[in-house]
Amino acid sequence: MNLPEIIKNSEAYVAERFPVEKMSYSAMVVKKEVPVHRLSWAYYMGGLALFFFGVQMVTGLLLLFYYQPTVSDAHASVEFITDHVPGGSLVRNMHAWASSMMIAAVMVHLLTAFAMKAFAKPREITWVTGVVLLGITFGLGFTGYLLPWHQVAVNATKIGLQSVQEVGQYLPGAMAEWPRIVKETIQGEAAVGQATLSRFFALHVIILPLAMMATLGLHLLSVQLHGMSRGIDGPPKRQEKFFPTFFIKDLTVWGFAFIILFVIALCVPFESLYSYPLFEPFNPKGSTPDGIKPEWYFYFLYYPLELLPFWVILVGSTVLGAVLMGTPWIFQNTSRRTLQILAVLAALYLFVMTVFGEQIYHMFKG
Amino acid sequence: MNSKASNPRDAGTPRPGKELAEQFLNFPSVPLCLCGLLVFLLSSPSALAYPEFQAFVAKSSGRTVNCAMCHANSDGPEGTGPGQIGHLNAAELERLGRARSALQPGQNVDSPILNAFGNHIIKSIGKEKFVELKVSPAHLADLLPPDSDLDQDGIPDVREYLDGTLPINHNDGNPLLLFRHNFRANLVAIALTLAATVCGVWGLGHLLHGLAAASRIKDTED
Amino acid sequence: MVDAFFFVGLPYLAIVICVAGCIWRSRYDRFSMSARSSQFLEDGKLLFGSLPWHVGIITILLGHLIVAVVPRVWSSLMTIPAVLFGVEALGVACSLLAIAGLSALIVRRITDARVQAVTTTMDLVVVVLLMAQIVVGLLSAITFRYGAAWSAGTVVPYFWGILTLQPEMAYVTGFPMLFKLHFIGAWVLIALVPFTRLMHVLAVPLGYIFRAPQLVLWNNPRRSRHAVDATVRAESRRDFIKGAVGIAGASGLLALGVSEKVLTYFKGPDPDPEAESALLQKKLERLQQTAEERQLELERQRVEMILVARYSELDAVKGKYFIDYAMAPGLAFKGKNGLPLLISAKCTHLGCTVGSQVNAEGQIMCPCHVSYFNIVTGQPNPGAPAKLPLPHLAWALVDPSGNVVASGRPGGEVEGTPSPELLAQCSLYITKPRHSA
Repeated sequence: MNLPEIIKNSEAYVAERFPVEKMSYSAMVVKKEVPVHRLSWAYYMGGLALFFFGVQMVTGLLLLFYYQPTVSDAHASVEFITDHVPGGSLVRNMHAWASSMMIAAVMVHLLTAFAMKAFAKPREITWVTGVVLLGITFGLGFTGYLLPWHQVAVNATKIGLQSVQEVGQYLPGAMAEWPRIVKETIQGEAAVGQATLSRFFALHVIILPLAMMATLGLHLLSVQLHGMSRGIDGPPKRQEKFFPTFFIKDLTVWGFAFIILFVIALCVPFESLYSYPLFEPFNPKGSTPDGIKPEWYFYFLYYPLELLPFWVILVGSTVLGAVLMGTPWIFQNTSRRTLQILAVLAALYLFVMTVFGEQIYHMFKG
Repeated sequence: MNSKASNPRDAGTPRPGKELAEQFLNFPSVPLCLCGLLVFLLSSPSALAYPEFQAFVAKSSGRTVNCAMCHANSDGPEGTGPGQIGHLNAAELERLGRARSALQPGQNVDSPILNAFGNHIIKSIGKEKFVELKVSPAHLADLLPPDSDLDQDGIPDVREYLDGTLPINHNDGNPLLLFRHNFRANLVAIALTLAATVCGVWGLGHLLHGLAAASRIKDTED
Repeated sequence: MVDAFFFVGLPYLAIVICVAGCIWRSRYDRFSMSARSSQFLEDGKLLFGSLPWHVGIITILLGHLIVAVVPRVWSSLMTIPAVLFGVEALGVACSLLAIAGLSALIVRRITDARVQAVTTTMDLVVVVLLMAQIVVGLLSAITFRYGAAWSAGTVVPYFWGILTLQPEMAYVTGFPMLFKLHFIGAWVLIALVPFTRLMHVLAVPLGYIFRAPQLVLWNNPRRSRHAVDATVRAESRRDFIKGAVGIAGASGLLALGVSEKVLTYFKGPDPDPEAESALLQKKLERLQQTAEERQLELERQRVEMILVARYSELDAVKGKYFIDYAMAPGLAFKGKNGLPLLISAKCTHLGCTVGSQVNAEGQIMCPCHVSYFNIVTGQPNPGAPAKLPLPHLAWALVDPSGNVVASGRPGGEVEGTPSPELLAQCSLYITKPRHSA
């Protein structure tokens, strides 16, 4: 193949993924239709994640007015928000609860999109940007966890970053040092400290949200360009208009989500789910309290990490990442039935590890 | 649990000696040793923590618990940190002495090494009874006043003691009980928010319907 | 005498005229009991006049009615500043809306030839009177604020006195002129009801809100297409109205409930002096703690030896924590040979701080992932998550006169063998690791 041909082919490839003739209000909004069938509920998951992202933006900006990203003041400023600022406890709890809900919505969205084969041609870009969004969401969760600078935050971050360094032992020669260098670049100094806090703050507040918005733009554009994937094998019961019928239903779902989030955030402080010593200010000279754990959405990775040799997890997560990125090409000839079974298995694994992870851990470790 | 009760902080360089240490560099000085001795004298006879209660609560509730449930410092009373014996000034030491002599219930206790809940315990049952309870920490729950709720979060202190949650933090407690209490307390706000959300979603929905119909009319006219 | 006429005579006159006139009209001229529709004469400006006018005036009249019916409930509601403010704001907004709508209707009525043809003199009188009445009401509401709160105690008893035939005009005779005008206008309008299109108020067309739109259209084949369009348009118009009402309701609730809270959120708390000093105290302590850490760091940069403990404080089974030269925790024990044993307490697995209690096997435990480390060798137990041993640290024993009497290196080499008597007086230091490179 010569150069002009390569250019021509890639041009055709991009043109098929981003058809210019469809980039109009009438094609993307007025004419778009949504299939109605037994799996239609899955079409709301992406919108729900988007809604929670919006909540995170608003509450996050509100928190910025009071939060102070220094090791001496971070914890005190968070306490100040919860205990003294009028409405601060609601804002902070909404931020904490909505982050969990957003990640739950994103996970379900990923699994249902997989089960419905929503990644099939020409929607590869939608899927790949979605996987990138998943990564950014987890990154936001990880960086945000450190910011209150309490015992569990700093210690869990230490553990998380240390596992980056652990990779070094499997690399040959001079490369063995690379993961340590990467780790120290991320944390900015030899141990988790002020430099780490500043970096995580910048990541959490500016860099990752900007990356999120850019990727989200691409994701939503391709969703609107190609319309909803049909999702099932047979013909759908009927089609409904995206605008306004489906969009109004989407809004109603958001309304429900908001009320649930509001009531929970108002009535259940997020920290009441954990033991109180974990939320004391980080004390670098004291011993680490029991029960240091990452947030629940990392359990699926954390408990296997505790139980199995590190290299198993390393290989496993590398393969998982590669499979997620390559899904549109790996599974392009797989039937929806097989995909659904795979998705159910994955959902089962996530559910069991998240809910019963601790029991499983104690079962094997005594 | 014992490892938690110990205090790593008092083992570091004694604070007053640090500037001196800078002056004398690698030359240990007599004043420095004296300072260390002073800290030692202040802190060593204070081994009066009661880890029995902590162990009981941690075991019965399944939650991680530390000294901060009753003490001012989460590493307990020993040491030189804030709220620890090595950190007290003369007035606070006097308060400590008075609190330690409150053997009978009903005295106004304001010990600088205890938090509000710790003081509440000593005030309610007296020091003598409290020391007796070391052998059966579960009975503390029967002796404390059942209605007292120091943090006003709707969960009585006794219940919080058994649950292993902090009785002086209204954000800490059994999530279900907290939900019940806060839901009742915020019913008006919740009802108004519900009304606003329903109103807004209903209005937006109709507005979008109208917009769609209007743009259809425009299309047919064109 | 004038007051007696306007506030006792006129009201009864108006009520009698109104009741008798309405009965007469319903008996003898039944089909005129409505406002004659002119929608098919002119349909464009009507929407922008009629809708705001009716929304505004109905809201305001409902407000007047509720105060009169449940004055106690109303005034207890008005004790909440936010509600009082919201109600006042709503009232002013609605009268502005009504004035705008009525103005549009007046312009339409006097400029459109077709509507002119069906306009009676009485229509014009009513329109002008209504306009005057609303403007006077709005002015008095703005000049004498919070009428929503105080009217329940003055105007309402006066009104009920009239209705129960025990008129007590003392309630209102002291009012400013503007209010008196508003009262007089009200009674005049009531007297006019049977003779004008105001009569349609009595129909209370609640059903209109819920039934499908009914349109007055020319019906012939040429215009059938127009009829379909008009129906769709009417439906979308209804959607717009519902949308506006819903969003207005939501924003009203938000304005009442949230705007104040958003303001106070940004303004920040207003703590009492005691809480404020407690807060400052806490912040100061945290700052001191950070300063201490910085100082420790600096010390470790500059100083060659750092005090850990006095030798007599060391114990074989209970370690003493200290901060080593890498700013990581370390533990000091008394070894089997009586000499100090210093070991890093930073777990080689994931960096948690290892516990200080030595168990029967001579091991210390990391609580995070349960690795046991032998304190003599530093090695973790087989199968532990940690794979690397805890490193030992260099130390020196210094006698009271400042001489180093013994020192140990991580490899285990020890220089000097002090006597037990001397040992007891010594202090334990960690020494700066030498970089061989």
